[in-house]
Amino acid sequence: MATYSLANERLRALEDIEREIGAILQNAGTVILELSKEKTNERLLDRQAAAFTASVQHVEAELSAQIRYLTQVATGQPHEGSSYSSRKDCQMALKRVDYARLKLSDVARTCEQLLEN
Amino acid sequence: MAQQRALPQSKETLLQSYNKRLKDDVKSIMDNFTEIIKTAKIEDETQVSRATQGEQDHYEMHVRAANIVRAGESLMKLVSDLKQFLILNDFPSVNEAIDQRNQQLRALQEECDRKLIALRDEISIDLYELEEEYYSSSSSLCEANDLPLCEAYWRLDLDTDSADGLSAPVLASPEPSAGPLQAAAPAHSHAGGPGPTEHA
Repeated sequence: MATYSLANERLRALEDIEREIGAILQNAGTVILELSKEKTNERLLDRQAAAFTASVQHVEAELSAQIRYLTQVATGQPHEGSSYSSRKDCQMALKRVDYARLKLSDVARTCEQLLEN
Repeated sequence: MAQQRALPQSKETLLQSYNKRLKDDVKSIMDNFTEIIKTAKIEDETQVSRATQGEQDHYEMHVRAANIVRAGESLMKLVSDLKQFLILNDFPSVNEAIDQRNQQLRALQEECDRKLIALRDEISIDLYELEEEYYSSSSSLCEANDLPLCEAYWRLDLDTDSADGLSAPVLASPEPSAGPLQAAAPAHSHAGGPGPTEHA
């Protein structure tokens, strides 16, 4: 999807969820690491544990919402739309431009030759 | 939507499986995490020696941590599957993406064609001068019957019989230099001939 510049909010939301899952594991690791110390910083512990729980619930809610949306929107049929025709037209326009450039360079070369002679 | 469409069995099953995977993975993460925290509590009385209990707790924590990581990995896979499903089956956004792409390509094509037409109009002026110069110079290799464009129109003006298959252009101006290109190009203001015309 990175090849097109699509402003697809749902895909971006799913990418944020992926980052949040990474953060969940990071938080869990920090909490356990903090517990392993002899002198635990209780405030950091509470903060990280709260962040962990909140992230897990947020991820669950978001993914449930996405699945609910897909249940409403999905059909069994494949999508048969395409942008082939406009892509072909654009390709032909670019070919016309290239051809014009080629011919212009020929004319320029001919003029230079005549000037030299 | 007015009513829920009946999804085909496979899609329905697939979406239900996504839900199940989500619930299982989240439950696994939470349970394993709470169990690790509980195991971290040091008991005063143990059934086996402290060292053995310590080893057991150590191993249990390793396994639970591995379970948390596995569940996290499984969630990432679920997100990837959801992205794939979305790209293939979310028709509103697929339609929007196709429309956007069509618009971009059409705009590019129109831009190219507009620039080519502007180029054509500029080049036609220069080509006229080049032709005059070429055919009136000594390096011209054309035969006596092979008239240059400007000569042909001048002759046509003087003698209609020597048109020689050339179509008669509309000669509104008495000046021969203004004639030929007026018919070819759309309404343009190079009526004064090659000399005073300015390129924009």
